[in-house]
Amino acid sequence: MAERRLAGLRARLEGLARPRRPEVLPVAFDRRRIYVLPTAFGAFFGALVVVMLLGALNYNNNPALLLALLLAGAGNTSLLAAHLQLSGLRIVAVDAEPVPAGAPLLLRVHARADPQRTRRGLRVDAGDASAVLSLRDGAGEVRLALATQRRGWLQPGRLRISTTRPLGLARAWAYAWPADDLLVYPRPEAEGPPLPHGRGDNARARMQPAGDDVHHLRAYRRGDARRAIAWKPSARRDTLLVREYEQPQGADVVLDWLALAPLAYEARIARLARWVDQAEREGRRWRLQLAQQPAIGPARGAAHRHACLRALALLPPATGSEHGSLG
Amino acid sequence: MPACARWRCCRRPPARSTAALARRKPSRSTPLDAQARGWSLAAAAACLLPLLLQLPGTLALGLALTGIVATAASWRRPLPAALRMVLSLAVVALVVANARFAFGRDTGCALLAAMLALKPMELATLRDARSLLGFALFAPFATFLLDQGPLSLLLGLVAAVLVLAALLRLSEMESGEPEVLAPAPRLARVLRLVAIGLPLALAAFWLFPRMATPLWGVPERVIARPGLSDTMAPGGWLDLMNDDSVALRVTFDGAAPPTSEMYWRGPVLWNYDGREWTTSPWFRGLPAAAVTHGPRRYIYDLEVEPTDRRQLVALELPMAVPEGAQASIDHMLRTDRTLSATTRWQMTSAAPVAFEPDLRGTLRAAALRLPDGYNPRTMALAREWRTQAGSGNDAVIVERALAWIRAEFGYTLTTPLPGRHAVDEFLFDQKQGFCEHFSSAFVVLMRASGIPARVVTGYTGGYRNPFGGYWIVRRSDAHAWAEVWLPGRGWVRVDPTAAVAPERIYDTLADRASGGAGGLQALAPMYDMGDWLRRGWNDLVLGFDAARQQRMLRSLGGGDLGSSQLVALFALIGGAALAAMLWLVARGERERDPVLRAWHRLGARYGRLGLGRRPHETADAWTARVLALRPQSTALVALTARFAEWRYARDRGGDGRTLVHDLRAHRP
Repeated sequence: MAERRLAGLRARLEGLARPRRPEVLPVAFDRRRIYVLPTAFGAFFGALVVVMLLGALNYNNNPALLLALLLAGAGNTSLLAAHLQLSGLRIVAVDAEPVPAGAPLLLRVHARADPQRTRRGLRVDAGDASAVLSLRDGAGEVRLALATQRRGWLQPGRLRISTTRPLGLARAWAYAWPADDLLVYPRPEAEGPPLPHGRGDNARARMQPAGDDVHHLRAYRRGDARRAIAWKPSARRDTLLVREYEQPQGADVVLDWLALAPLAYEARIARLARWVDQAEREGRRWRLQLAQQPAIGPARGAAHRHACLRALALLPPATGSEHGSLG
Repeated sequence: MPACARWRCCRRPPARSTAALARRKPSRSTPLDAQARGWSLAAAAACLLPLLLQLPGTLALGLALTGIVATAASWRRPLPAALRMVLSLAVVALVVANARFAFGRDTGCALLAAMLALKPMELATLRDARSLLGFALFAPFATFLLDQGPLSLLLGLVAAVLVLAALLRLSEMESGEPEVLAPAPRLARVLRLVAIGLPLALAAFWLFPRMATPLWGVPERVIARPGLSDTMAPGGWLDLMNDDSVALRVTFDGAAPPTSEMYWRGPVLWNYDGREWTTSPWFRGLPAAAVTHGPRRYIYDLEVEPTDRRQLVALELPMAVPEGAQASIDHMLRTDRTLSATTRWQMTSAAPVAFEPDLRGTLRAAALRLPDGYNPRTMALAREWRTQAGSGNDAVIVERALAWIRAEFGYTLTTPLPGRHAVDEFLFDQKQGFCEHFSSAFVVLMRASGIPARVVTGYTGGYRNPFGGYWIVRRSDAHAWAEVWLPGRGWVRVDPTAAVAPERIYDTLADRASGGAGGLQALAPMYDMGDWLRRGWNDLVLGFDAARQQRMLRSLGGGDLGSSQLVALFALIGGAALAAMLWLVARGERERDPVLRAWHRLGARYGRLGLGRRPHETADAWTARVLALRPQSTALVALTARFAEWRYARDRGGDGRTLVHDLRAHRP
């Protein structure tokens, strides 16, 4: 009970801390948004120094007083030093490669600062994830694994950058709340039917996996693999010729939202996501047809895959009653 | 490009890299690494060392061994809790038994040392290490309660610095930084932290309001250090007479009296039980007797080394009782508090012309009282002298006694243990002894012949340190003499020992050195210098108390400050010190290259006009922009060219110093 109240109080206190809403990066930490509080050990150390001070004053024992004051002075300096570890630090950007929901999202936080001050061992926390940020030559990067649950935009939330250096007596911390949204792809279906058959003009075309059959020779272009060079014909023609292999000639796959009508809303998204990955893996061209949206493709490649998965990820969430049809 | 290679680049990253990055949050139960453990143990040992040096030898050795064994036994994995408990209880019991169940400051400190020696048994986690270090910091503190000597101070401060260095290591470990500093840069970093905190610490030290009276009692040492006491048994002072450590340091404001007149008067002993002289507790509460002082006044500062007693001495005779002390009827000074720390007293003295010329009956009786059945031969001699001198001729008897002693007695520190009739044995058999014997026998002889007399103890003489020009009185200068009451003059000092061995009383270190070991003479300046440094330390640090604080502020022109004004002054100077700290902490990170620093400052000056150099702008582009907006800034163009020359073609760039100067001088 008390624990819950404490957590509530902490949440309310954190609500008061700056920044109070997401902000556009880069942000620089200044004294208005750096907080310093003693750690538990710092409080213990403080109590120890106070007891020493009282004892030394009472007995008029000046060496003991000097010892206590030196410790207090060093502790106070460490407070300032902890503050300065963060002061002037800039969080310039955050980014992440999209991952399917459920997999941890690797959030990269890029920090910059004046190179003159050493800033080592800063702790970056986002939710439950935490990592160490060390700046070298004024720049540092940290990777945090954020847990993802659902597809769509993910708010990285408030990042807490904190340090207890140099003496572990005080913790200085500051929050950065990047406004950037990070994309989370839909979770692909784990097991599912194979890709639907191609349609259209190429539907009957010969399925030719990447093979060794030589289709024809063409002139060398920069970047061609050396072993693809046809040496004998090149020697005959006195110019470099390259064997061009038969491209896989699969028909364009059509991934159609409406064709999956019997499935539940999220299940359809999961299956389409799986098919997109599968088509990309098999090197097929595909077209994604979502309801009330222009078709994407046909095409293939990383960019196309990203466009398709992004469209799937950003489909509005299902609205309960409308089962199977797009709302 | 073969298609099979294409999807590889967009495949999601393998799962293991994320697992490696998802660090566990550090907690207080983080296990220590070898470095952190080593630093923690070294710091704890350094804290324990000065405390052990203050404890009795065997106990200290035992505790040190216990600590080493306990640490070694629990090095790989912690000992079982039950075993630790048993071991701790056993060691505590041994320590308490060793102190013979006497609970005092010594026992407390020994217990602290024992606990600290056992604490490394449970050193596994970050939390353990921090509690060990926090606990260890009490050891130097406890040491200072026992001893404030330079060695203890040095060791204590070194230990504190090591503790801070260990804390630094622990914090580094906690933050997950893999980089490990070498010991030297780590210590340098800690010393920098301490140095930056120093102004604040010193301001607090000299300005923090001091307590004139303690909140709770000063713990007594179980074993007292030698010093003047309220008792004197002839032959009992040998320890004191052989102790060459400093008892007093005196600075005269103006001329000093000749050494033969330097009688530092302490406890006055009235009561004699045949063996031992003691002060009279009855006379303590009575107001001080009337004194007419002579014209020659001596103003001086008395610095008393700690003794754990309350007897204060003063040059004969003090004209006023200093604050914090009381005078009894015989002008013997007692302090309100035990002199357990170095204290300073400001006093004025003048030799008495008439000291209690009217002696009350009770006092007279007390000054004539002798125990029955002791020293029959002395009694007989005294009666014989009285009959020969007749009544009212006290001075003649005193002179006769002194002449006898001068003629027939010798000075020695080796005397046999006295029997029942100690005075008889001394006067008629041995005729050799030191100040205790002479004063005791003389007073008995006087009392027996009807002259009121008493024994006075204190110190005599002094040695002038050429550095700083102050006087040193050593414990070995302890002395006992007599006071006899003569009609019309009151109490008159008579020193029978001086009649025999004046050189022994008025000697100096230099005299002793030339007589004894010849090599000591050459070392004398070093001793003098060492003592002078020690005195400076005493003056500024050890003896600094509420009174001295007020005196310091007064000498700075502050006048008498109330405690609220003191707090305000402290807050003011403390605030300034804090600002200085902040500046010092931040300053360490400034640009090291003076040319670049000046260049950045120049940019900042233009920044105030809204013309600051943007981070992406080259120097030339910036200058061009400034020139377009402010055509009068032609000097900037030349400066920029020189700066670029210096920075990118240094061999042609010329002297950096003049460039720095010109950069600094330029104002937009």
